[in-house]
Amino acid sequence: MRGRGGLGALGTVGVALLLALPWILSQGLLNASIQMLIAALFACAYNLLAGQAGMLSFGHAAYFGVGAFATVHAMNAFGGSGLLPTPLMPLAGALAGLIFGAIAGWFATQRTGAYFAMITLAIAELLHALAPHFKGLFGGEGGVSSTRMPSMGVTFGSTTQMYYLVLAWVLASLLALYLYTLTPLGRLTLGLRENSHRLRFLGYDVHKLSVLVFSISAMFSGIAGSLQVINNEAANYIVFDAGQSTAVVLNTYIGGARVFLGPAFGAALMTFFGYAVSDLTQSWLLYQGILFALVMMFAPSGLAGLFGMPDRLRRRFGTAAVVPFFALALASIVLLTAGTVFLVELLQRILSQDYRALAAGAPPWPPISLFGRQWSPAAAVTWLLPAAGVACGAATMLLARHKLALLEGRQEDTAAEPRAIEGERTPA
Amino acid sequence: MDTLIVSLLNGVIYGLLLFMVSAGLTLVFGMMGVLNFAHASFYMLGAYFAYALQGTLGFWGAVVVSPLLVGLIGVIVERFVLRRVHRYGHGHELLLTFGLSIIIAELVKLCFGNFPVNYRVPASLDFAAFAVGNSDYPFYRVLMGAVAIAMFVLIFLLLTRTRVGIVVRSAIYKPRMAEALGHNVPAVFMGVFGVGAALAGLAGAVAGAFYTTNPNMAIDLGVVVFVVVVVGGLGSLSGAMLASLLIGVVTSLAVGVDASLADLLGLIGARAWAERIGGLFTLKLSSLAATIPFALMLVVLLVRPGGLLGEKA
Repeated sequence: MRGRGGLGALGTVGVALLLALPWILSQGLLNASIQMLIAALFACAYNLLAGQAGMLSFGHAAYFGVGAFATVHAMNAFGGSGLLPTPLMPLAGALAGLIFGAIAGWFATQRTGAYFAMITLAIAELLHALAPHFKGLFGGEGGVSSTRMPSMGVTFGSTTQMYYLVLAWVLASLLALYLYTLTPLGRLTLGLRENSHRLRFLGYDVHKLSVLVFSISAMFSGIAGSLQVINNEAANYIVFDAGQSTAVVLNTYIGGARVFLGPAFGAALMTFFGYAVSDLTQSWLLYQGILFALVMMFAPSGLAGLFGMPDRLRRRFGTAAVVPFFALALASIVLLTAGTVFLVELLQRILSQDYRALAAGAPPWPPISLFGRQWSPAAAVTWLLPAAGVACGAATMLLARHKLALLEGRQEDTAAEPRAIEGERTPA
Repeated sequence: MDTLIVSLLNGVIYGLLLFMVSAGLTLVFGMMGVLNFAHASFYMLGAYFAYALQGTLGFWGAVVVSPLLVGLIGVIVERFVLRRVHRYGHGHELLLTFGLSIIIAELVKLCFGNFPVNYRVPASLDFAAFAVGNSDYPFYRVLMGAVAIAMFVLIFLLLTRTRVGIVVRSAIYKPRMAEALGHNVPAVFMGVFGVGAALAGLAGAVAGAFYTTNPNMAIDLGVVVFVVVVVGGLGSLSGAMLASLLIGVVTSLAVGVDASLADLLGLIGARAWAERIGGLFTLKLSSLAATIPFALMLVVLLVRPGGLLGEKA
């Protein structure tokens, strides 16, 4: 563990880097950074509920969307001059998120566990199904658009100014969320996850507490939605789509729900890759889903949890002993990724509508262009190459695990603990 | 009157279809405490497998083989995926099945394209069963209902009349005790998971031909199935049956009602006021049909948090 001073220094460097980004990045990348920041805030707001309070919500797009629409209407208020000056506009989203979160949370937190997950999903679906019918509020198919008003001597016309506005709000919100975890309420939030029965026993009103946590999470989600609207100058009912709720769940858990900035890291990473590869592949969500499932199965603490691993192992076994292990593990990950991506992209091209139409005729099927080369679907090498990649990757992975097992000797026998069986049924 | 009968019938049959999918979900939940987010994906897989196989096996062959394949996938998922993460708790399992549902949906899009496929009722089954008034009622709908009822009776008899059923029920009720008595409880879990998946696959194979078969069918049906199990009470088979029929009939009837709140207020002379307000007051009930299950669920949670036939919360 690094000391608190080390973390503080790391944080300062990080913030300085974020402040300097407009000088380093191009316009397009700066725009992507804005999206990454918003996604990071949304994921952290979500994680307050899902990671810290242990309440899995599958409909967080609802609060993001409510914040977004509250803001777009606040921007259009008074004939377009706006309810608030532009830099303070996210307050409208925060308030809307808070209020709607309190209402929805009151319903959803009636139940816990799987019920809670389904209720949040249903509330989001309810909103998604209703929204197109309310033209006045949600603008129907076309959505509602608006314009950012100059305020306090700043026009908010350029991407750079927008970036700083978003950065200021995201950093302030993240700081608030972090300070929240240090308060007694923050500790109680963890208590909700760990043992709500005991909290009730200690005299806390668990339902009230859950509603409070839910609304705070919804409030920060509302801020994230708000920032997106200010950036896009438009809101559409698409923000209520299930895809938005899915994305935040994936981002949060890929990043790591047990580390405070884990979700932010996951969201930034996923948004960046989404931006970078969206032109190259149509299967980005598939890769994301596979990554998510792998993380959940093999690294439950998320990618952020993996960061500490090299340091821990190095300290335990010495640098020389762990280098081969990491070399093998890295090689295996690269091989597996390459093999899988090759296979998926190949299949995607072969099974696409265009290719099927092209290959409808005689057996000499036309070659497929992929990674700058032509591959014939009938040639063995086309299929052997990715298969070999996956097989070698799997073999290397086994080898790496064997190395690690050798290192750990027999002290890790507990890993193969028998499957825990559900205890006697207790009323939910 | 005829329209009423037809939409009642449609509603009951849609309800029976919902039951076929929610039965497996609620059984697995009652047994393992796992809410299987990918359950509706098994329904979708059933439809797509049947579509892909019907060319070689014919319609009936496909309807038989596709649920078996889906059941096999369910067994693999339970044995090699869910069992690995069991020790991290139910939340973790729920998240993992959520990930699986995304992967399955994306793989379906990859293999069959992001659009509805041409999976149809075979011509030999496409005839009118009987006439209601002067409109014909399709035989295939009746067939779907019959398959669902046959399945319900079969599961019910299996659970209550056979030795296997006794072991399964005891594994649900007191898993440790059942294991202590020498029953292989993990194997029972795996079996139930596989059977639940196969049932969903069967529902997909049969219903996919009648409704549309597209990559969104899992999420579309999935949310309704979740509503069904919450309304019925998680873990209760008869609750799932009741809630399925209720939701099927209510949505089906709502589609046919062209009234709005303004019409209702018109009875007390407040129509003009309501129409001036607009918004919710002038929305036709028929256009809200898709949202009624969710509203119903919120009401049930308010008055009976455990669901209609569920345990006390």
